Amino acid sequence: MFHISSQKKYWTFDNEESLEQLRYEANQKYRNKMLASGKPGVSDAVFLEAHEENVLFRHYEKRLLDFCNAFKPVMPKSVVGTAIMYFRRFYLNNSLMEYHPRTIMLICAYLSCKVDEFNVSSTQFVGNLVQESAAGQERALEQILEYELLLIQQLNFHLVVHTPYRPMEGLLIDIKTRYPLLENPESLRKSVDDFLTRVTLTDSGLLFPPSQIAMTAILNSASRAGLSMESYLTECMGLKEDKETLLKMYDAMRRIKSLMKKYELPKPDEVNAYKVKLERVHADFGTNSNMYRGESVYGLHKINK
Amino acid sequence: MKGRCSNSPGLIRGKENCQSDLCEMDDQGCPRCKTTKYRNPSLKLMVNVCGHTLCESCVDMLFVRGSGNCVQCDTPLRKSNFRVQLFEDPAVDKEVEIRKKVLKIYNKRDFDFSNLREYNDYLERVEEIVYNLTNNLEVEGTKQIMEAYQRENRDIIQKNKAKLTREQEELEELLLLEQQGNEQRRLETLQEEQRQLQAKRKSKQALLDELERSHVPATILLAQHKDRAAQLETQIEKQKQVVKTTIFSTGIPMGQTVSLLTVNRLEEVLYHYQPIHMHTYGPPVPELEQLGRLGYLNHVRTAQPQDMAGGYNSGLACHRAIQDAFSGLFHPLG
Repeated sequence: MFHISSQKKYWTFDNEESLEQLRYEANQKYRNKMLASGKPGVSDAVFLEAHEENVLFRHYEKRLLDFCNAFKPVMPKSVVGTAIMYFRRFYLNNSLMEYHPRTIMLICAYLSCKVDEFNVSSTQFVGNLVQESAAGQERALEQILEYELLLIQQLNFHLVVHTPYRPMEGLLIDIKTRYPLLENPESLRKSVDDFLTRVTLTDSGLLFPPSQIAMTAILNSASRAGLSMESYLTECMGLKEDKETLLKMYDAMRRIKSLMKKYELPKPDEVNAYKVKLERVHADFGTNSNMYRGESVYGLHKINK
Repeated sequence: MKGRCSNSPGLIRGKENCQSDLCEMDDQGCPRCKTTKYRNPSLKLMVNVCGHTLCESCVDMLFVRGSGNCVQCDTPLRKSNFRVQLFEDPAVDKEVEIRKKVLKIYNKRDFDFSNLREYNDYLERVEEIVYNLTNNLEVEGTKQIMEAYQRENRDIIQKNKAKLTREQEELEELLLLEQQGNEQRRLETLQEEQRQLQAKRKSKQALLDELERSHVPATILLAQHKDRAAQLETQIEKQKQVVKTTIFSTGIPMGQTVSLLTVNRLEEVLYHYQPIHMHTYGPPVPELEQLGRLGYLNHVRTAQPQDMAGGYNSGLACHRAIQDAFSGLFHPLG
């Protein structure tokens, strides 16, 4: 359950600023490490800034989402949500310059399948990298297996992720049972799903409990559809007396919505510019000689466009 | 073992130890008459002091002709030196013989020594002597050492011999007693059985007689007979239970109080059960059993017969979804 989970204890933060701070620190740590190592060609301008990393992060996150959506057999939503959460948590404490997001992205998906008991063999998994030749898929698999333990370690071995999908189902059931004022909750399902997909691309998972996110999704969709659901919170949840908690709930929902509004897809020219820099950094200072060069190897850009 | 007996990997030879019926072939034939061994599995092998084997018939043959030399190593032998082989490897038998002889002389025991070190050194010397004699190394020197030891420790050897015989006698007495006890018990049970059989036969005979003679209808007679048989059975049962045991099998008589050290009485605070209180940071979740009554189960996919066979019911999924929906809903952070 969420209330005793490691997600609540270790991976739920107070506000967006603390997240920004963590990412900034990860970036600085890498920079300092590289500067201290005294390798040739090292200078501040070569490295990516925190906001540049952010752009690239969003880009690769979108690609991860597309990869999971194009996955055969069809990946359940919780698996997708878990994969994106792993990706997000990993890059909270590590810099994109140190570990290339292209590799980490696939490992997140792979690990998520395992943790969520979505049974895919490794060959089946790399078979989904459709643009690769068989040899390329082999190499990809090797890389995945090489970095898997690193990912688990950076997640601090906290592998269980609570996504908002099951709370959403639970709330729908509850509404159908106890809240007859809303006539057809099923009609909301599509827009709720949509909302939840968009919310996973924001930092909400690291700031709010999944049940609150699900509640926001439902209330938002209801208000969009013009249906009123205000009394649900007051009557059914017993918050009529408890003004304070009610206010806090509204506040949380407002914040989630604002996070969603702030999200925007990264601009292609920015992405390309930063990508060049990233590749340079990995080529020059990358510790792994096994690393691929160039984006086209995994060939996922076709789906992207 | 006779043949390649893969089930009992012990060294002891003997038909009674070998459980497989397939072991007829012997893996070592008699060196002289080889064929006889294969043809006659009941023939025993004898071993002598030089460590070589000969089957019984060959031994007889050898001494009929008067010559007393071993076939393989040509050492002079006496017929009395042949013993029935106990171990598969004749070398082992030879060593056992030598060891017996050595230990007759070197019969000191652990309490004869002042500390462990000396005892171990003594044992090591014994082992060396046995080893030398078995492998025919420095036989003369070893024999001299043995004689010297014998002369020096004559009285100790005598004393220990006497002690040993006494202990053996005691053991044998105990064994004898036990055997006698077993025999008696066996006889008693046999007698009991006999008596019971006789009693049963008598009652049957009595029934037949009565059926012949009496005028009472047959059904009543049969009922009476059955009653009597039942009574007999209960009597027998009671008799069996009446056998009182007065001592435990370890020899301690029953009813004896054994005095032990007094145990200190520990007084500690009594444990009071406190139910666990989980803070879910959300509204209260209805109990699993109440879900049906409250109407939640109408909105969950009903369980198929295949699912229910495994113990699943729709309430479980519903309860979990509700729990997840309510958990953390009023979470103060965020």
